[in-house]
Amino acid sequence: MPHLLAISIIAVVLGAVGVALMLPRGAARGRLLGGLLGAVALGLTLSQLPRVGQWANDALFLVLAAVTVVSAVGAVTFRNPVYCAIWFGQSLLGVAGLMLVAGAQFLAVATVVIYAGAILVTFLFVLMLAQPEGRAAYDRVSFEGPMAAATGIVIVGLLSITIGGVLSAGPMEHHSAQAMATGVLAPQHVARLGDELFGRHLLAVEVAGTLLLVALVGAAVIVRLAADRMSDRQSAADGASAPTLRGGRSVAAESVADRPS
Amino acid sequence: MIVTLLEPLLKIVLLLAALMTACAYLVLVERWMAAWVQDRLGPNRVGIPLTRVRLFGLGQPLADGIKLLTKAQITPSHVDKALFIVAPMAIFVAALAAFAVIPFGSVIPTEGLPAAWRLPKQISLVVAPGMDVGMVYVYAVGSVAVYGVVLGGWASNDKYSFLGGMRSSAQLISYELPLGLGILGVVLATGSLRLDAIIHQQAASGAWNVFTQPLGFVVFCVAGFAEAARLPFDLPEAEQELVGGYHTEYSGIKLVMYMVAEFLHMITASFLIVILFLGGWHLWGVTGAGNEVSWPIALVRIIVLLGKVMVVILFFMLARWSWPRFRFDQLMDIGWKVMIPWGLVNVVAIAAWIEFGGRLSAVVGLSPIVAMALGNGCVLILCWLATVVADPTSIDNRPRRALPVVGQVGQPRPGGNPPCGKTTDRVL
Amino acid sequence: MKPDDQKITWVREPRLGPTGRSFLPLFVQGLMTTLRHLFRRKQTVQSPETRHASPDPLLYRGVHRLNWDDQGRVKCVACFLCATACPSHCIDIIAAESPWPDREKYPESFTIDELRCIFCGMCEEACPVDAIELTSFYDLSGKSREEMIFDKEKLLSVYDQTKNTEPMRTRRIER
Repeated sequence: MPHLLAISIIAVVLGAVGVALMLPRGAARGRLLGGLLGAVALGLTLSQLPRVGQWANDALFLVLAAVTVVSAVGAVTFRNPVYCAIWFGQSLLGVAGLMLVAGAQFLAVATVVIYAGAILVTFLFVLMLAQPEGRAAYDRVSFEGPMAAATGIVIVGLLSITIGGVLSAGPMEHHSAQAMATGVLAPQHVARLGDELFGRHLLAVEVAGTLLLVALVGAAVIVRLAADRMSDRQSAADGASAPTLRGGRSVAAESVADRPS
Repeated sequence: MIVTLLEPLLKIVLLLAALMTACAYLVLVERWMAAWVQDRLGPNRVGIPLTRVRLFGLGQPLADGIKLLTKAQITPSHVDKALFIVAPMAIFVAALAAFAVIPFGSVIPTEGLPAAWRLPKQISLVVAPGMDVGMVYVYAVGSVAVYGVVLGGWASNDKYSFLGGMRSSAQLISYELPLGLGILGVVLATGSLRLDAIIHQQAASGAWNVFTQPLGFVVFCVAGFAEAARLPFDLPEAEQELVGGYHTEYSGIKLVMYMVAEFLHMITASFLIVILFLGGWHLWGVTGAGNEVSWPIALVRIIVLLGKVMVVILFFMLARWSWPRFRFDQLMDIGWKVMIPWGLVNVVAIAAWIEFGGRLSAVVGLSPIVAMALGNGCVLILCWLATVVADPTSIDNRPRRALPVVGQVGQPRPGGNPPCGKTTDRVL
Repeated sequence: MKPDDQKITWVREPRLGPTGRSFLPLFVQGLMTTLRHLFRRKQTVQSPETRHASPDPLLYRGVHRLNWDDQGRVKCVACFLCATACPSHCIDIIAAESPWPDREKYPESFTIDELRCIFCGMCEEACPVDAIELTSFYDLSGKSREEMIFDKEKLLSVYDQTKNTEPMRTRRIER
């Protein structure tokens, strides 16, 4: 279907140009134009998507998809890092909603728990404690904007072509029926997921878990070493008032060890 | 078709109306409890409007609501306008969204209703009965609610609000872990993430999880109190320290959203405690355990569930006046050094019981449920004794650098005194 | 303030005893306290239906009154001692030539801003002729600030209302 392909290509290119224009740069020119281009691209893309069936499902899908895409664009184009974090969170909520519509309940909820819950809150901590006032240069200007937009074109284009290939193989009803038959959307999908993770992929899960644990311990050790080195330097700066005792153990190390428990 | 659409809509409308009314009246109950505990009478004046009928002050929520809604809405000039408005909405929506999967009864039969409506044989009293991962969903929505608090605190651009938001986020993140561990034991024992399945399992066996998993119950209750930010864990809005905490700058309808959301958190926590550990709608000899119910049994089950929830809520309110607030480091210590280890022990104990419990109880000669209750009770007592002996919450907040050794206070160290102020073991 | 400030005395927190460490006794203790009070007789006095036991009119400091003398004249001689003594400057007196031979001045206007008044009773202490006194009226209310500025007539009417229940505080020195 060359007509569809042409519209998709136009939409992707328009979207990329729009995002590139909207990215924070030194002078805030063309942001409105970029936004308009992006909106046109989004409208084109959504209008070309195949319908799922019922109007309610379609509307739900389109709204969630639009929310996801717009929030993702907001996450990269806003200058205030806190706003970027909020947009990112909203984009993840949109993704979770899409998963819920598709019937992947556990994935949807797990996405919210992991991303929105844990990572974003940590993210907010960093943002608030690092830069309460005024924005640094790296917040005001985004580097390599055109390059990033071009990369985006390639990824979105590849995804579109792949998904388009899958879609052209048959109507949506056929796919969902197939999915039902193979048990992908079976009611026991949480149990199936657990079975897969801790059965077939047990080794990978355990290795990943161990890796994370080692990373955690390593981070703690590094922090500890840095703190000790800092207090050593402090002791050295204090001169004779705080010498190292008993074969090189620093005052700090000794007093931590001898802390009354 | 229309009826099938109407059914969830009707449930949503009913639930929303019930929740909002419940919030309003729980505020009144809370004020009554506060007054009674302090030897006062509490609000008892406002009755039916425009009459002199008092009705024990039952009109008070209406008056409070009108007052708050008609008050001036102040948006200070120094706030971040967009987030200032979004934050209360976020927490309110998140608090309400949790109720999508929380059952407020068992099922109601549809026998007498016209066949043309093509209703299923039973209507389950959950807004979203198809949700297989209800427990994780509640957990996810709870983690979204942190946003309202943190954003509200940050957007207010005020030090008290910011401190409240920061405290709140730290507290909620810390206590999500023991909360999850408490849930995990129940989910392990049930084998399902559905809340109604958890109730059914307790009803079928007749042993509520509070008996078979006492340690998990304690961990979950404490974490639930902390997640609902109720005293003794109400650090985010400790009036004596932070004015109003994260909602210091809020007024009018936005303040109402925050306050209602807080009450909804408490109601959610109560529902979860009842559903996960106190048997949900089950009561021995009254409600039966099966899935086939008649109308009277269905009503009794609703009443039993709501009655249990009410008792837990009353305990929440009583607890507010019973114990003083923890200091922040104590809060963190209890979370990380007591509750998380307890939760881990609980999960290991339950998992071990599921694997070996059957054989063990056969060897001992007790029925599996009694043996499980006894075994896990022993685990709880052991955990408690270990905590008493180890005393992990006792802290020494003197500077870690260059602390003098105990017993040498005041004695000059070789090479002079450490570079900090006096330290002493004297109890001031 | 840095942690190594010489002025800081660092104290180690005392360890809790076994009761405190085990939490449970304190938990029960707190709960018992609230439960006990929950069912105790309430102390609230439901004003205005029932009132507090009447405060001693000789001691209580409520709304002011201006006294009449036995010939139906304002006792006040506009000496300004009360206005001078008043710590919150709520008394405003305009004096005029007295129409009576036994005193030089009388207050043409005498106003007290009851919203500024702190009910300390200094005016009563200062008055040489026992003209201004504090009554035991305590539930004072008004719908505007102007209404709460009491003028001479109002203050005298307070005396008319309270003269039967509250005798003059200081016995009149018979001459």
